Amino acid sequence: MKQLTLTMAAVCSFAAIGAFASDAPINFNRDIRPILTENCFKCHGFDKAARKGGLRLDDRDAAMLPAKSEKRAIVPGKLDESELVRRITTTVEEDHMPPTESGKKLKPEQIATLKRWIAEGAPFSKHWSFEKPVKAPLPAVTTSGWTKNEIDFFVLQKIESEKINPSPEANKFTLARRAALDLTGLPPSPDSLKSFINDPSPNAFEKYVDTLLASPAYGERWARVWLDLARFADTKGYEKDLRRTIWPWRDWVINAFNVDMPYDRFTREQLAGDLLEKPTPDQLVATGFHRNTMTNEEGGVDHEEFRMHSVRDRVDTTVQVWMGLSMGCAKCHTHKYDPITINDYYSFYAFFNQTEDANRGDEQPTLATPSRNEAERIATLDASIASAELKLKDSTPEIEAALPAWENEIKQHLGWQTIRPKSLKAVSGSVMEQQNDGSILVKSKGQNGGPPTEKYTLTFDAPQLDLTGLRIEALPDASHPKGGVGRSKDDGNFVLTGIKLSVKSADGKDEEIPFSKAVADFSQHDYPIEHVLKNPDSKKHGWAVSPKLTEPHIAVFSLAAPLKLVQGKELTLTLDHSFEFSFPGFSMGKFRIALTSDAVPGLSPSVPDAITKIVAVAPEARNAEQKLTLLNHFTSVCPQHKAVRDEIAKLKGERTAVKPVATPILRELSEKKRRVTKVLNRGNFLDQTEAVEAAVPSSLHAWPEGLPKNRLGLAQWICSPENPLTARVAVNRVWAQMFGAGIVETLEDFGSQGAPVSHPELLDWLAVDFMENGWSFKKLVKKIALSASYRQSARATPELAKRDRFNRLLARGPRFRMEAEMLRDQALAVSGLLSSKMFGPSVMPYQPPGLWKSTYSNDDWATSPGEDRYRRGLYTFIKRTTPYPEAILFDATSRETCTLRRPRTNTPLQALITLNDPVFVECAQALARKMALKGGEKLEGQVAFGLREALLREPRTEEISELVKLYERRIEEGKADKTAMEKLATDPLGPLPAGMDPAHAAALTAVANVILNLDEFVTK
Amino acid sequence: MNLLHECAKSITRRHFFGKLGMGVGAIALDQLLNDRARADEPGDANPLAPKKPHFAPKAKSIIYLHMAGSPSQLDLFDYKPKLVEHNGQKCPDEFLKGKRFAFIKGVPNMLGTPFKFSQQGPSGAWLSEVWKHLPEVLGDVAIVKSMNTEQFNHAPAQLFLHTGTQLLGGASMGAWATYGLGSENQNLPGFVVLTSGGKTPDAGVSVWGGGFLPSVYQGVQCRTDGDPVLFLSNPKGMSREGRRDTLDVLKKLNDMQEHEIGDPETVTRISQYELAFRMQMSVPDAMDITKEPQNILDLYGAKPGYVSDLHKAGDVRTSYKGDDPTFANNCLLARRLVERGVRFVQLYDWGWDHHGVSPGEHIPTILPIKVQQIDRAFSGLIKDLKQRGLLDSTLIVWGGEFGRTPMQQNNNPSANFIGRDHHPFAFSMMMAGGGIKGGQVYGETDELGYYITENPVSIRDLQALILTQIGLDPFKLIYPYQGLEQRLIGVEGKAKVPMKLIK
Repeated sequence: MKQLTLTMAAVCSFAAIGAFASDAPINFNRDIRPILTENCFKCHGFDKAARKGGLRLDDRDAAMLPAKSEKRAIVPGKLDESELVRRITTTVEEDHMPPTESGKKLKPEQIATLKRWIAEGAPFSKHWSFEKPVKAPLPAVTTSGWTKNEIDFFVLQKIESEKINPSPEANKFTLARRAALDLTGLPPSPDSLKSFINDPSPNAFEKYVDTLLASPAYGERWARVWLDLARFADTKGYEKDLRRTIWPWRDWVINAFNVDMPYDRFTREQLAGDLLEKPTPDQLVATGFHRNTMTNEEGGVDHEEFRMHSVRDRVDTTVQVWMGLSMGCAKCHTHKYDPITINDYYSFYAFFNQTEDANRGDEQPTLATPSRNEAERIATLDASIASAELKLKDSTPEIEAALPAWENEIKQHLGWQTIRPKSLKAVSGSVMEQQNDGSILVKSKGQNGGPPTEKYTLTFDAPQLDLTGLRIEALPDASHPKGGVGRSKDDGNFVLTGIKLSVKSADGKDEEIPFSKAVADFSQHDYPIEHVLKNPDSKKHGWAVSPKLTEPHIAVFSLAAPLKLVQGKELTLTLDHSFEFSFPGFSMGKFRIALTSDAVPGLSPSVPDAITKIVAVAPEARNAEQKLTLLNHFTSVCPQHKAVRDEIAKLKGERTAVKPVATPILRELSEKKRRVTKVLNRGNFLDQTEAVEAAVPSSLHAWPEGLPKNRLGLAQWICSPENPLTARVAVNRVWAQMFGAGIVETLEDFGSQGAPVSHPELLDWLAVDFMENGWSFKKLVKKIALSASYRQSARATPELAKRDRFNRLLARGPRFRMEAEMLRDQALAVSGLLSSKMFGPSVMPYQPPGLWKSTYSNDDWATSPGEDRYRRGLYTFIKRTTPYPEAILFDATSRETCTLRRPRTNTPLQALITLNDPVFVECAQALARKMALKGGEKLEGQVAFGLREALLREPRTEEISELVKLYERRIEEGKADKTAMEKLATDPLGPLPAGMDPAHAAALTAVANVILNLDEFVTK
Repeated sequence: MNLLHECAKSITRRHFFGKLGMGVGAIALDQLLNDRARADEPGDANPLAPKKPHFAPKAKSIIYLHMAGSPSQLDLFDYKPKLVEHNGQKCPDEFLKGKRFAFIKGVPNMLGTPFKFSQQGPSGAWLSEVWKHLPEVLGDVAIVKSMNTEQFNHAPAQLFLHTGTQLLGGASMGAWATYGLGSENQNLPGFVVLTSGGKTPDAGVSVWGGGFLPSVYQGVQCRTDGDPVLFLSNPKGMSREGRRDTLDVLKKLNDMQEHEIGDPETVTRISQYELAFRMQMSVPDAMDITKEPQNILDLYGAKPGYVSDLHKAGDVRTSYKGDDPTFANNCLLARRLVERGVRFVQLYDWGWDHHGVSPGEHIPTILPIKVQQIDRAFSGLIKDLKQRGLLDSTLIVWGGEFGRTPMQQNNNPSANFIGRDHHPFAFSMMMAGGGIKGGQVYGETDELGYYITENPVSIRDLQALILTQIGLDPFKLIYPYQGLEQRLIGVEGKAKVPMKLIK
């Protein structure tokens, strides 16, 4: 430990206290916390493991204690006794803080602030966002007549404190455009614009805002924002990135915004709709929010590993979206800046660790969401099938007459005796269960199927029989992949590679009983039944049954000569499945074994035991019930009813052909199957340590008694009025959409590393008001829209632009480049191409060919026909590994993970899109035609019309004249190349309306291309 | 007890500074300190304007040649006579116990290389006979035999290598480089991506994504058919003069708007449109290899105007031809781009995933074809950069995302194809130029090529090396995101630069 020397530097900084600008007392959160967070907490913060020198500075009590060096970092009121002061001012390099190698350095004014803070007694307070918001009284302001609602008092106070003036209200046209784009994502309809402009009443703007809020486009615009948070996409991500159908969830979100579903309910249904009492289909669809996580279907991945990635994504997303905290770093280690430990993380994780989904290719569990037409069709078909099945029971004298002959036929095969093994063993350890009907069901892990190879060994006691053959019935079962007969991953096939039957001889040895012949009702191409008895290579050959994987099949193995079995002798049967393939599971899933003494063992299916027994009884000895049972069975299989059976098969075929969209949902595992959640050391899924129970971090607000410890309880905890964050984060997000930046600029981080809050009391007032108004987004949006702050002109004096370039003071109205989807929607709307069709599968507007080249998928972009190519941007198909170029280049995300804030860049590639992307060229062509048709006779009028349509304001004469001159030069140049002009007017939009001059349309297209690229047009 | 040293204890960082031969004090400290985050405020005139490096760089540009799917180091560089000797024998248990493989099940057999090896170049490096041209440039090439990674599936391993995280959402190396240094040519993108082999890499465009960095830094894929950059061409029927005319009018109208509203963003937008106009000229010019003389084309094996005829359906690898010049054309383009000041050129060549379970994955036939497609181009690129005096300032990196097993993959369902599974524990890469000490073989593996025995180089180390060569401190190049100081080398910063690889 170096000797303490108070250096000149320290003396100088000490003097700087006098220069501190404000006389107001130090506010810990405003003045001190940012300095400590930036410079100190990494080594002297919450994370015990990372703490250096035994010093903790994020907690007052701890900070007052002596550190390892026995020095006290902070002695309130005593600068010369506080080691912290010495360390930040010393010139001795080894002692200096922050250390040089950290790359951090305190500014002289920061040093002065820290000293003043200690001099004032070093008061601490919790990070502001962890304190509950309260509505502060509206601040006093001096400017009169400017404020319109509560918001404005807070904004104005700040502006006045900076000694500047607020801006006047923007003109009606600007306001109409701004509000329409913000509230609906589209320019206003001509009608609503007209009635607003012509409405002289003082509440004209309010009426206009109400119209916008009531428009279905409102839900689409705000759903778009939510889709970024939910990482909604139309593919599953990672290498294969195959398609996913989850648009019913997207439609749910649009509806929820349109009906102004309260945010607490919106939260509950998305996080835990499945846990509500008797959930409606809509509430189940809502849980798709967390099914938007990615699924990795690359060959060879560990599905459990990627299931865990999904669960962690759900944790991180939930905490970020609702509470503006980043918990992500705690998955590997205790959070350095915010009070969240790694155990906190996995306790929170436990809430999400109990759902059924598990990185499965088939996306189970899903919910069928039939459209109204489909629901009707299903009901009709089900009724028809039921009535046809009744017909099967009809008997006629003719049928009854045929019964004895059928009984005879059956009797010939009565020799088939189903055997019931006394022991069952699968070499893989898979569970085998004997069913009531004598069949044996092997348990599979859903679509993942069985193990790579498999062998079943069955032992049973021999019946008294002259054995001539053995029958295997392969039976389909819903528990196997695709409901197939086998356990192969994702398709449900099997490959039987060998069979061995042996009998225990007198000396205890197993003697093999050889088969001489094998027949089957069906064999897959290249996988004949013969291979089971004589297999050239059991790793590659055997009996398989694709593509008839969901039908029962029969194989019969005969002996060369009958073999006399002695009752009670132990027989052992092994069924070998040694086939190897790039995916596993080619073993039988459900089967039944029978033996016979029939002279010629036939390929007949088994008759139910009950029927066999009745047939064995002499007809005259049967009772009435037996007679009826037999007759009912016979009518269901008799040739006379073939037409009915065919009808039923056809109806059932039609019924299965009605495939309502199955959308992924959350479903909780049954009680028995609950997972134990363990802390993953450094986030490594193979390094699991202690087990934890579901809980929320103790540093956050308390868990109310009586809430269930599941996702539903969690959703209620999140929206509890005690939660200091949820409402703040939500209103901040809405604010950012309308003002271009949040009151807390880091929408994603309300923790101690986040950006400082520009208007803390305003944020809190809005948050409390939001909750008081029943968590209504529409009321919040309306409140913001009607404020004078929002209605200001965006015009900035050079002085103001320089002083407050990013408009954090809000002394002028918002103005910023609009987001990708809005930009495209606006161009389509202005040109008249936009389709107003809502909902349904995502669509594919034009994109350049050849962009999709996924490694193991030949899926391709197919431009949607008709109006679908002109739908709003939120309906554009999103392939995560190859997103739509316009969207991605204008800062949309690829929706791989939750994004709370899109950056706003300004690049040449964006210019190339709005200038040259065929979608925008089409818009220019369409706008040009509108100008020609609706802009009057004169060119000036047509140009002015185009400007008015796009910008919703009266054009300036210079603007018109510049564009007219452009038009004239284009016409002049075009004389030399008529074909080029024709192309410019029609490619790709198509032929011109009858009678329109191509040169005129082309020159106007050039004009429209300029209009659609104006800074004013791409900015809102 | 010393608080400062307690806090600053970071062996790897010490190592880094120490070995570079500059004490902490010797570094332009102010610059390091002022460089907390290179995030540009929205609306800054040009986020791609050149920025000062952290320290004097060895290289100005990087050409990264990624062989997607991962070539077999054991059939190209890492010669293992012992493996040949034990060919066909069961793999010893010690190599299988507790290991996870993508596809291998049970006990596989050892697989000796079917190719002959001989010693080549000044370092006496063992090279497989499939290399015909590589020996000519070995004096400039460092072969690293001791690469290792943490991931053993393609998409996560490619993401880990290029973005520093196996999950989607990270920023790629090229994005970090342009974020850190900007671009030297304002008429071209700073980070260009070219692909060959008929498919994009397994992890898709995310391997050249900007991730959490502003999108202006993400890679721009230049294509050799259609528009080289998306939407570069004017609408059909609009001439370049016509475009100039519309842009002049657009500028006049935007100037009026700027005058009226006073938003600095408008000024930026005007300049971005001008840049777009210049790109419309400069990109096609840079991408036009017909301007190259025949001797240069021959040096690479390039053929201007070649359009790949790989059929789309099924496995493109079965229709590969050895003389397919797509990769060669891309190498030549890479030279033209770095010559013009492009910071980072990323090539992806797909088709190196040789498991031996289908005809397109049979090492004895497919590997020589793939090597033929890249061999001459790789050596040509080095020779060409050298003769232009650009090799010293251009770092070339060649390799896959992991290696391949010494064992034969054993889940082959049908015919007799030979291949290897994914192997993260040891694999080989090549580096040249940009301050790399050529003519050496670095690192060693055990006698079966299973584990590294000497000088391991992790993916983190490689990332640190690459950034260091272009003058960026891998520990200082950060971007704040999700509450963490994100870095290419990961938030934990466990990386050390392999100093013996540097001149």
